[in-house]
Amino acid sequence: MIRINRRKLITTSAVLAIAALTVTTVPAQALNPHMASEPGLTASTIKLGMTSPLTGIAAPGYSKIPGAMKAYFDYVNANGGVNGRKIVFVSKDDQYIPTTAVAKANELILRDKVFALVGTLGTASTKALTSSTQLSKRGIPSLFVNTGWSGFADKKAYPTTFSILPSYQMEAKIMAKMIKDKYAGKKLALIYQDDDFGRDALAGFKTAGLSFDLAIPYASGSQALPATGAGWITKLKAASPDVTVMFGVSSATTALLGAAAQGGWVGKTQFILGSVGGDATTIANTSKALVPLLTGAKGFSFAPAPTDSSDEYIKLFQTIYAAAQPKETFDNNVVAGMSNAFFTVQALKAAGPNLTRAGLIKVIETKGASLPNPFLTPLGYSATSHVGATGYWIGTYGPTGALTPDGGKYTVYTTDSGTGAVVESTYKRPAMPAKGL
Amino acid sequence: MKISLKARFVSVAAVAALAGTVVVGAPTAANAAPQCATANFVTQCAGAGADGAPYMMIAAANFNGTVFIWSHGIRPAINIPASLAPVGPYTITNAAEPGPLASSGDLSVINKLVAAGYGVAGSGYSRQSINTTEALAANKELIATFKTKFPTTKTVIAWGNSLGAMHSQMLAEKHPELVDGVIMGCPAANPSDALVSYFGDALWGFKALFDPSIKVGGYSTDPVVRQQEQLANIGKVLLVLSKLSAGLTTGAWPDTASPAGKALQAAGVPSRSALLTVGLMAGIPTRSKHVDGTSGPTGAAETYPLAIAPAVAILENMGTVGVAGSLLIADGELLTGGKVYDNSKTDYAARVAADADIYSFALSGNNAVNAIIGALAATPRETADPAAVAKIPSVIGLKGEIKKPTIIFQSESDEYTPASIVQWYIDTYGDQYAAEKAKAMADAKKSRAYSAPINNLVTLWIKTAPKYSTFTAAGSPDLTAAVGAGTGHCLFTSAQWLAAANLMTETLANGKFPLGGKIATIARKAGMTYDNKFRVPTFKALG
Repeated sequence: MIRINRRKLITTSAVLAIAALTVTTVPAQALNPHMASEPGLTASTIKLGMTSPLTGIAAPGYSKIPGAMKAYFDYVNANGGVNGRKIVFVSKDDQYIPTTAVAKANELILRDKVFALVGTLGTASTKALTSSTQLSKRGIPSLFVNTGWSGFADKKAYPTTFSILPSYQMEAKIMAKMIKDKYAGKKLALIYQDDDFGRDALAGFKTAGLSFDLAIPYASGSQALPATGAGWITKLKAASPDVTVMFGVSSATTALLGAAAQGGWVGKTQFILGSVGGDATTIANTSKALVPLLTGAKGFSFAPAPTDSSDEYIKLFQTIYAAAQPKETFDNNVVAGMSNAFFTVQALKAAGPNLTRAGLIKVIETKGASLPNPFLTPLGYSATSHVGATGYWIGTYGPTGALTPDGGKYTVYTTDSGTGAVVESTYKRPAMPAKGL
Repeated sequence: MKISLKARFVSVAAVAALAGTVVVGAPTAANAAPQCATANFVTQCAGAGADGAPYMMIAAANFNGTVFIWSHGIRPAINIPASLAPVGPYTITNAAEPGPLASSGDLSVINKLVAAGYGVAGSGYSRQSINTTEALAANKELIATFKTKFPTTKTVIAWGNSLGAMHSQMLAEKHPELVDGVIMGCPAANPSDALVSYFGDALWGFKALFDPSIKVGGYSTDPVVRQQEQLANIGKVLLVLSKLSAGLTTGAWPDTASPAGKALQAAGVPSRSALLTVGLMAGIPTRSKHVDGTSGPTGAAETYPLAIAPAVAILENMGTVGVAGSLLIADGELLTGGKVYDNSKTDYAARVAADADIYSFALSGNNAVNAIIGALAATPRETADPAAVAKIPSVIGLKGEIKKPTIIFQSESDEYTPASIVQWYIDTYGDQYAAEKAKAMADAKKSRAYSAPINNLVTLWIKTAPKYSTFTAAGSPDLTAAVGAGTGHCLFTSAQWLAAANLMTETLANGKFPLGGKIATIARKAGMTYDNKFRVPTFKALG
C-alpha cells in the first residue's frame, strides 16, 4: 500500500514537473479539462461551420459571404490565431433550400464535428436547421446568423443562437419614421416577402403607425418566376403609388426592376429598399443594366459603406480581401462576411483560452455588447436578449449601386423590436484593436 | 402515385413455403400439439395455440439455448379487393411468421440465425389488425411451447416490427420474467393517443378540404357495413390523391373539394399548398421514398425543392397514412366501442406555425396558410366517445418502460410509424434512467458504494439521405426508382436485422451493451447510425 502511494507521488511529481516545463509553450487551454469533451476543439484549432447558398436562387451576392469570412479567418490565423488556436472554417452549400440546410448542418455537426455554427443564412434555413438538429439541446452555439428575423433574438426560444443583423421590425420602424418625415401624405405601396421576414416588417410598420395604400405579398422563392414581377407591375401601375417599398430579398428587387423596365414603369415611383433587398452585386449578377435603375432609391445599412475607405474597418477589410480575392469586387456582402468573422473572433477571444461552448455563449451574453465590432449601431446582447445590432443609417443609391449616407455622414437611428421609440443614436463604437485582431 | 402497402400486408405465402419444406401440414385445431419434422439437422414445428393462432418454431441440432420470438407487423382484418390496387388484393391470413423479412420471401435472417445455433419462432395470431391482446397471449403461450419442445432454452429475445414491435415491448413490460432482451424495428406506439391523432388529423384534413364524404371515424358497428365503409374510404382517399397528383403543378383542386376547399380554390390557393398544410399539421414526413426534398428536375432544380417537392412527399406518404388510418381507426372503434379520434380542441394554427416559414414557397406564403387554417377552423370538428378513449390504453397502451436490454432501429422518415415514436421511447427512458441514477446516488449515501445503473437502451437510426430523387423526362419524381435510405416503413435489410440480433446476443452474453465505438461500428456496417444526441421532432399532438 505504501509503495503504491509512493509510486503515485513520484508519478504525480513527474507530471507536475513536465507541466511546469511546458506551461510556457503549451497554450493554457490545452490543460482545460473540458476540452476533450468539446467537439471541434483541439489545443491548436477551433473548427467553425457555415451553411449558406453558394449556388441556387440566392447565391448571387450571398455566395461571397463565406469567402469573405474565410479571408478574415485566414488573416487571423496568419497572425497567430485566437488565443493560440487557428480557426478551421468549413463552408457548405445549402442552395437556400431549408431541407438542404438541415442536411448540411447535420454534416457539419456529426461528420465535421464543428465547435459552433456561424453565419447561417436565411430565416427559413436557419429556423429549419436550428429545430431539426436540436442545436439548443446539444448546446451548440449558432453565432451571428445572417437573418434579421426578430425571433432569433429570443433567448428563451433560441438559447444558443445569436443574431447580428438588426431585426426587420427595427428596420421597418426606422423606415416608417423616414417615410413619415419625408413622404407625408404620399400614396404608399409595399411589396413584402410573405413569411416571417415580411411578418416582422408588417409588425414594425404597424407599431410605427404606418399603413400602405397597396400591399403585395409574395411567397419566398416565387420571385424566381417571371410572372411574379410582372404581376407586381400590373398592380403598381393600377395604383400609381408615389413611394414603393420593397421589403424582400435582392432577387426580388431584381425581379421588380426587371419587370419595371419591361413594363415601361421606370421613374414612376420613389423606391425604398430594405437592407436585405438593396444589394447591387446581386442585381448586377442578373443584369448589369438594372443597376442604374437603383439611382435615387433609398436604402438602409448598419455597417459602414463598402466604399468608405475612411472607416478603419473598411480599410482593413479592403486590404485583406484584395489579397485573398483579388478578382472579386469588394461590396456589401464582403463587408457582411468579414464583419461577421471579425465579431466571431472577438467573441472567441473574449471567451479566453479555456474555451467551451457554454463559456462562449456566456461571454457573448455578458460582454458581447461592448466587444469591438465594425457596426455603427449599438449591440443589444445581454443575459436576456440575443439581439445584435439595433439600428440603421439611411442613404441613397447612386448609378453604380453604391449606397451613400444622406447628409454626407452616418446618422444612425436606433430602436427595438417592440414599441420603443426610434431615436437618433449617440453610440460610439469601440476602437478597432491593433491590426484588427 | 403508387402506394406500396401490399408488400407489408401480404405475401405470407413465402413463410408457408418455408414450413412446407419439411412439415407436411400444420395443425389447425386450437391447442393442437405441434407437428415437427427434422431434416438436415433442422427441426421445424408448426402448431396452433389455445385460440387457434398458428405458430412456427425452428431450431437446429446445434441449438444454443437462445430463441428469437418474432411478432409480425400489422395485417388488415378485412379482405381488400383487387379494384383497390395497389392496396389490394389482400385476403385475411393468420399464417405464422417466424422471423423478419419472411413475409416477403427473404429467409436469410432466419436461416443465418438457425445455422448459428439460435432458435426462431413466431405466431400468426388468431386475429389481425390491432391484435395486441391476442398477440400477448399467443407470445406467452409460444414461449412456453418452445421451452417444452426445446428444453435447453435459457434466453428469450422478443423482436418484432411495427405493430409487432409493440407486441414485443408489451410482452417485456407485462411479463419481464419471460423476456431477456427486446429488439424493435420501426415500433408502433400511441403515447397519449398521439398516433391516433396522427392518422386522424391527416384524414380529417382530407375530409375538411378535399372530400367531405371521407370518414375519420364513426364507423358502423355492423361488421359488413363497417367493412364496406372502410373500403369505400380507402377508395376515396386514393381517388383524392390521384386528383391532387394531377393538379400538383397547376394547383387545381379535386372536383370533390369541400365548400371550404372550393373557397380556397377561388382565392387562388393551390391545392398542393393545402395538401402540404394537412401533412404538416398531422406531422407527416416531408420526405418520402422517392422525394428527397432537395432535388429538382432539369430546368427546375432550384425552384422544385422549394415550391413543389414538400407537397409531393406528403402526397406519396399520404398514400400509406390515409389507407392505414382508414383501417386502424375503424378497428380501434370496434375494440373500444366508440369513436376514438378527437380534434375538438386541436390548435392547427399552432401545429403549422413553426413550419410555415420553412416551407413558405410550397405553402404559397403566410396569407395562404392563414386562409387554409381559417378554412379548417370553420370546419366542424370530430368529438370522441370518452368511454372509448378511456379504453384505448387497455388495448394498445404502453408505458415505454425499458426493463431489459432493448435495441430500437428506425428510419428517420417513416410515414407509418413516425420516428417521433422512437423519440418518445428515448425521452421516456431518459427520464427512467435519470430516476434510477438518482436512486443509486441516494442509496450510495447510505451504503457508501455507488453503482451506476446499466444503460438498457440503444437506438440505431437509418437517417434519410440528403439526395436520392430521380426524375422522369416529364419532370416528375421517378416512382420506379430505388427507395431512398431512411424512408418508408420498416424497409430494413437482412444485414440490419442481423446486426441488431448480433448486438443483442453479445449484450446478453456480457451483461451490458458494448462500448459506443463498437456499437457505432456495428451500426455503420449495416447502413445505420449510432448517435446518442440525434433527435427527431416529437409528435405534433404532443406539442
